[in-house]
Amino acid sequence: MYGLLIAIGIVLLLSVIWMVYRIQALISVAKGSSKKIATTSNKVNAILMMVFLVGCTILMVWYSIKEFDNYQLPVASEHGVITDQLFWVTMAVTGFIFVLTHILLFWFGYRYQYDDNKRAAYYPDNNKLEIIWTLVPAVVLTVLVFTGWRAWKDITAPAPEDAHVVEIMGYQFAWEIRYPGKDNVLGDYDYRLINANNSRGIDFTDKNSFDDFPSQQVVIPKGEPVLFKIRARDVLHSVFAPHMRLKMDAVPGMPTRFWFVPTKTTTEMRAELGDDEFEYEIACTEVCGRGHFSMRRVITVLEPDEYREWVSEQESFIKRNPDLISDLPSDLKELAEIYINESK
Amino acid sequence: MAVANVSSHDVEHHEHEHHDNFITKYIFSTDHKMIGKQFLVTGIFWALIGGFLSIVFRLQLGFPDMNLEFLRPIFGGWIDNTGKLDPNFYLALVTMHGTIMVFFVLTAGLSGTFSNFLIPLQIGARDMASGFMNMLSYWFFFLSSVVMFCSLFLEKGPAGGGWVVYPPLSALEQAIPGSGLGMTLWLVAMTFFIVSSLLGGINYITTVINLRTKGMSFARLPLTIWAFFLTAIIGLLSFPVLFSAALLLVFDRSFGTSFYLSDIYIGGEALPNTGGSAVLYQHLFWFLGHPEVYIVLLPALGITSEIIATNSRKPIFGYKAMIISMLGITILSFVVWAHHMFVSGMNPFLGSIFMFLTLIIAVPSAVKVFNYLTTLWRGNLRFTPGMLFSIGLVSVFISGGLTGIFLGNSAIDIQLHDTYFVVAHFHLVMGSASFFGLVAGVYHWFPKMFGRMMDEKLGHIHFWLTFVGIYMVFFPMHYIGIAGFPRRYYTWTEFAFSDMYTDLNMFVSAAAIITFAAQMILVFNFFYSMFFGRKASLNPWRSNTLEWTTPLHPQHGNWPGEIPSVYRWPYDYSKPGSKEDFIPQTIPLSATPESNLPHEEKLVNLEKEIIAEEGQILVANETKEES
Amino acid sequence: MEEKLSYEEGAVQPLSMHPKKFALWLFIVSVVMVFASLTSAYIVRQGEGNWLEFNLPDIFWYTSAVIILSSITMHWAYVSAKNDALDMLRLALIITSFLGFAFLVGQWYSWVALVDRDVYFVGNPSGSFLYVFTGLHALHLISGVIFLIIVLISSLRYKIHSQNMAQMEMCVTYWHFLGALWIYLFMFLLLNH
Repeated sequence: MYGLLIAIGIVLLLSVIWMVYRIQALISVAKGSSKKIATTSNKVNAILMMVFLVGCTILMVWYSIKEFDNYQLPVASEHGVITDQLFWVTMAVTGFIFVLTHILLFWFGYRYQYDDNKRAAYYPDNNKLEIIWTLVPAVVLTVLVFTGWRAWKDITAPAPEDAHVVEIMGYQFAWEIRYPGKDNVLGDYDYRLINANNSRGIDFTDKNSFDDFPSQQVVIPKGEPVLFKIRARDVLHSVFAPHMRLKMDAVPGMPTRFWFVPTKTTTEMRAELGDDEFEYEIACTEVCGRGHFSMRRVITVLEPDEYREWVSEQESFIKRNPDLISDLPSDLKELAEIYINESK
Repeated sequence: MAVANVSSHDVEHHEHEHHDNFITKYIFSTDHKMIGKQFLVTGIFWALIGGFLSIVFRLQLGFPDMNLEFLRPIFGGWIDNTGKLDPNFYLALVTMHGTIMVFFVLTAGLSGTFSNFLIPLQIGARDMASGFMNMLSYWFFFLSSVVMFCSLFLEKGPAGGGWVVYPPLSALEQAIPGSGLGMTLWLVAMTFFIVSSLLGGINYITTVINLRTKGMSFARLPLTIWAFFLTAIIGLLSFPVLFSAALLLVFDRSFGTSFYLSDIYIGGEALPNTGGSAVLYQHLFWFLGHPEVYIVLLPALGITSEIIATNSRKPIFGYKAMIISMLGITILSFVVWAHHMFVSGMNPFLGSIFMFLTLIIAVPSAVKVFNYLTTLWRGNLRFTPGMLFSIGLVSVFISGGLTGIFLGNSAIDIQLHDTYFVVAHFHLVMGSASFFGLVAGVYHWFPKMFGRMMDEKLGHIHFWLTFVGIYMVFFPMHYIGIAGFPRRYYTWTEFAFSDMYTDLNMFVSAAAIITFAAQMILVFNFFYSMFFGRKASLNPWRSNTLEWTTPLHPQHGNWPGEIPSVYRWPYDYSKPGSKEDFIPQTIPLSATPESNLPHEEKLVNLEKEIIAEEGQILVANETKEES
Repeated sequence: MEEKLSYEEGAVQPLSMHPKKFALWLFIVSVVMVFASLTSAYIVRQGEGNWLEFNLPDIFWYTSAVIILSSITMHWAYVSAKNDALDMLRLALIITSFLGFAFLVGQWYSWVALVDRDVYFVGNPSGSFLYVFTGLHALHLISGVIFLIIVLISSLRYKIHSQNMAQMEMCVTYWHFLGALWIYLFMFLLLNH
């Protein structure tokens, strides 16, 4: 019933608008106002340009200042400080151009609105001007690119030898984390070996895998280089640790990597932000299906000695589940068992 | 002589074609003007669908607790029992919104409409080089549209892996339901679309090169034609690459090859594919994908150049610089694709190279902006709706272009890649800018298309609502992006770092709904004015280009008599000395001694000679015929 | 009348290239782009390793010879048409079509030879690429043969002679292009397999 009433109401409203519109159109035809160019509406549009310019500038400045602490994520990695700096330098340069060009655009719109008594200037070209505004952006961009390139080169350089390795494997829809253990070398893997007990497809015939251990969180030491070895099990994913300014795709069949140095422990960051529940997080940024939005993992940054203690407390895969080595050839099995017994 | 025979035959053919029946006139038409209108109307249809889809997912993002039960009549099972949108369908919505907007609205709707409509009219040709191929081009597009439209109603939903359809997600039905039949139809539709684009593009290039009227040298072409011409070249070189990428994807999906697939364990089993490379697809896709941005953008820039010059009553500033920068963009657009892949696992050294190349392309874009600004300077601006949208284009082009400098810088891109910053960037610079170009073109050439005027007041209201609306939708997304919110997320509440800005997202969604609703003003104005609009005069904007010398309702063949010759460039507005503030291209320099520039004075003699010679030949021919 | 027409044409067509012929060239450009992208994909993929090495079937040498021969006979047809030697033209066209057909049969046997070597379409991409190259080229060649047959029919109807060469010229261009394309693909495979 209500639906019907609403529908009738809408129809009535529309027909009123229609009538008003028709009458207005007929009046303007009768007046012959369509022939004039410097009409009131031309003036109104010119004024609206200035209103838009002033209004939007105020809104933008006010919101940018007010919300600064909200959209500026705290940074917790060495290279992140550099890229943030680049970001804000670029912001200053582009922001200046943004404001300048918009002031010109809308001011010209207002200033040079149509006037029957005036005539536009015939000004078809000026090579000097063209050269200036080709060269100036080119120089500015070169500087920006060059600083960006230097940062990029350092970020993507090979990881230091002593970097702590962490393997992150994406799958629908979570991350699995593996640590290389004492030897700091991850055991081989093969996707054909994946089964319910061995979700990462670790190849236990490789001795390096004996001390590998899993973790529910990414735990890393502060102030020491960390190397993420990234892979995917099914479709593309992308490791995104926003506070570390870190992002790298996880590609099935093509392992990728990203190394960085965390600069603040979780505890330090909690104190700094005054937020006791703060955690560093990992998200997925390459669309991967239904649960794309929920691939969360926590990164915990510890002091180096806390980290070493944590590592020593972890139990390796084969210790947690001795079945994993039951199929191994006897000589390897013996080695594995020796390893298990030693670490007790 | 063989050449002449064929074409003169064409001309006669046109003159005999005045009595078309309904089907040959409105449906299987070979007239470029009708085909242009067909593209436009189909484009509007798709824009409404694409816009509607975006409203649905904006509802999800802005009002996550909202009960969407009322959408059940349309989406059926995709709304679950609690009134929530299904996350898989959310991804399908995002994917289809992107595909529809990029290909069906901004490529076919913009380039298809205006290249078809304007190229013959502005260069002085009877029709396209091949009217039949042109018709085929539309009907392949139509077929593609039908297939894509059908895919929206599949039980398992349309393609859902993002508009870039990266494998393995798009290759494996186990990964997402949309990668089944939905993806198959997507590929079929895109194949037809590629065929349509190539047929169209071949026709545009051939027409511009071969069928210009007398005197229409490349240095006298309106910038619109330059833009369409270069767009067609980009399309011709890049769409075949998309075809290759899609072909290999089809083989991977349906025949079990391993071009893109490798080492995959999914749905409890290890797939046999090894040796493929998912990054290979990304290279092939973006080799089209990036030029596609310029396929979408250049026509809009061309249209804007023309409209701004006309309504500023001023020559476009730096005509040559404009052409050179468009040429620069065309060439550079092919060597920047991998900036979409900085964090894809590609070799970082390649990343450095592509960073340098990418930022070079910003230079010609900057030159264009400064030229637009200088064109407005000391002009005599008339704010027709077309002009307002052109100014709006310049504004969003600046806003979106500047953020490109962040994203082209690989070090900064690490953080911003695939966040809302990217969404804001390309919606402004490519989406909104091209959309503004499209709308500006519709307002400006509507009188030529339908012989009637669109309502100016409604146009003004439409512009201000759209312009403010667009900024209200996309500007806040920068903040959201800097805060690190990832794209294509169903909801952000799963993460502590992104569990905020519900207010801002609500604002964006509300603005999007209002902006979308405001487009109904355009739809109304368009269809209403088509039948009841004020009758247009022959040259309502007092413009210089050739299309305004045709009759109000040009027949197939465009000019009833001979095609006019061209004697000057198209931007002689407000030339000192001349009485009117515009001199059409068809007026010889010798007829305007009062306003000729010194170097033109020298050309006058040459021009007189040519005209005299022609007169002699004509007289000679006539006497010969009589005798 | 004739001269006046040519005058009007002069006004309409500043560049005296037949629009359809020009369109054919543009079509060729797009085909080139398809194969250029596929061959560069091949190189990119090969650079990533895990690449199955195998010998190319010897039959490619024979099919290459056949396609070069067919280009020669096609040129013979073109010269004959230009000299109005219509019988020669028909004969040459028939031989060319026949050679085109022989080429296709040869390519089929190359697939058989590949299968004998345990290189299948489904498997390591190095083999899959080979099938895609040859298959896609064969599809274009089939279109070329159809074009040839159309031209042959026109020539039987006396529609091709020195005064009416447009269709013939387009066919010749396309045929030579297909030949060159195959030679490019073969050379590419020889150097990169």
